[in-house]
Amino acid sequence: MQCEDIELFLEQEGLEPLPEEARAHLAECGGCRNYVADLTSLVDVAHKLPTEIAAPERVWISLRAQLEAEGIIRTPIPVAIPAESASWWHSIQAFFSNRGFAAASVGILIVAGAAFEIARDRSPRNSTGSPEVARQMTPAPAVTSSSPQQVKPAAPTRPQPSASFTAPAEFASTAEALDDQEPLATGLLASSNSSIDASLRDNLKKVNEFIADCERHLKEQPQDELTREYLSAAYQQKAELLSAMIERGRSIN
Amino acid sequence: MCPSMRVTPARQATRFLLPVFAAGLLFAGVSPARAASQRVEKQFSVTGHPVVVIHNVASGRIEVKSWKNAHQVDIVGTQSSNKIAFDIEQAGDRVDVNANIVDPSAQPLELEANLQLTVPEETELQLKTETGLIYVEQVNGDMKLESYGGDVHLKEVSGYVIVKTTGGSLVCTQCAGKLDFSSISGNAQLLQPQLNNVNVMTTTGNILFDGAFIRTGLYSMRSGKGLVEVRFSSNDSFDLQAQTSTGFVDNRAADFLKPDNHKLRNYYSKVIHGFVGTVGAGLAKVELSSYSGTIRIMRRD
Repeated sequence: MQCEDIELFLEQEGLEPLPEEARAHLAECGGCRNYVADLTSLVDVAHKLPTEIAAPERVWISLRAQLEAEGIIRTPIPVAIPAESASWWHSIQAFFSNRGFAAASVGILIVAGAAFEIARDRSPRNSTGSPEVARQMTPAPAVTSSSPQQVKPAAPTRPQPSASFTAPAEFASTAEALDDQEPLATGLLASSNSSIDASLRDNLKKVNEFIADCERHLKEQPQDELTREYLSAAYQQKAELLSAMIERGRSIN
Repeated sequence: MCPSMRVTPARQATRFLLPVFAAGLLFAGVSPARAASQRVEKQFSVTGHPVVVIHNVASGRIEVKSWKNAHQVDIVGTQSSNKIAFDIEQAGDRVDVNANIVDPSAQPLELEANLQLTVPEETELQLKTETGLIYVEQVNGDMKLESYGGDVHLKEVSGYVIVKTTGGSLVCTQCAGKLDFSSISGNAQLLQPQLNNVNVMTTTGNILFDGAFIRTGLYSMRSGKGLVEVRFSSNDSFDLQAQTSTGFVDNRAADFLKPDNHKLRNYYSKVIHGFVGTVGAGLAKVELSSYSGTIRIMRRD
């Protein structure tokens, strides 16, 4: 048996127990021994590979090129893009192809937008809106002298949760702190469409509605201690919920 | 060397493929896996009173049951892909289990991790999950169970039980000891309880207490907008105080629950609607309230 016979045998029969003749040839031929050893290693390694392996990109490129060369597929005529614009467009595409970068960018945009809105709400020009709302939102300025020019500027006011109801005085600082956190929490989860994040947003909406309801009721019935207790508990739940949303938002972003 | 030996295309291909396959195997070992269900099983020896801490950031069910073996904790974890990794370790009598997401780009279906634990009857639990059911059965020990969206089902547990959810509901069947439950929109059902201290609070969910009040027990059940329903036994003995700001008290047990008008006048102003009454000798204390929901009181037998 010659080397070609060995190849032919292995091609047809595989690494089955070799016949006596083949074993005799291998005993004398180092090249064929190496060949059989290589094949054995290949088969062993192949058995250990997972069933699914993503082919490298170059394989697909090579395959496409081969198919195009053989006329089996045709490459669409590329749209002419000026070299300069193609370059920056591809740069942007490449940058956003990373999902993490894309999510972070969207998150930053949302948070920046929310911060801008808050800043705009707090800006003096907001006071040109409804006088009633402005009066409710702006604490009475501390007058230090009779001159109007020496009136201290009003302290920053919190954005209203959902309607023009103000928190009772004892909850004002809590409400303000929570309203400051809310844009961050909602912004971090804004890009997520998972059911759990939708549930968190839905629960935040429920708490906000409940808080607004309690605040409205307390405005009408300031002596209602039961409502005050519920309002206090709702603020605590909102604080815990926002904390959970921020924690989760940071983990998924 | 064999004189007839030559480098044929087959040999060339073999020489080329061998390192390629080897490299492929190497990368397959370290790269994120494809979707394939995986199972992890571990046993831990413990003495006395073990503490099991689970933090599951994936979705999935956590099930804890007890056995008579007081010296072993069994943990079986299954995951939908290895884009989640279980980190399980023991420190003395404490066993920590963390299910972590290793690939943030994973799809929801790839992020399912279920845990099944078998623990000694006297075990302390701290379980935290985002979604998916938490189920605990026949465990006697303090437990803190937290979930965003998942429900919590407890059966025949005892100890100091703290349950916190955002939207998940609690079903507590034949539970004993002390229970604290708080939720925003979750419901709470306490069925055939043997609890002597209950503090249940939900903002928009409903509350159902169906069972006996233990004498000397303290029970507080509050719902912001939901229904608070109590079904008591005619053998019970408790003082009851029900109050609502804008809701309604529906007393369907007027024959048993005698109103105490003197206390009522003392307790309530014009702005709160309420009811104060006593069943039997009034040994337990029951406080029910709702901001705008209905409080329903009825006899179960």
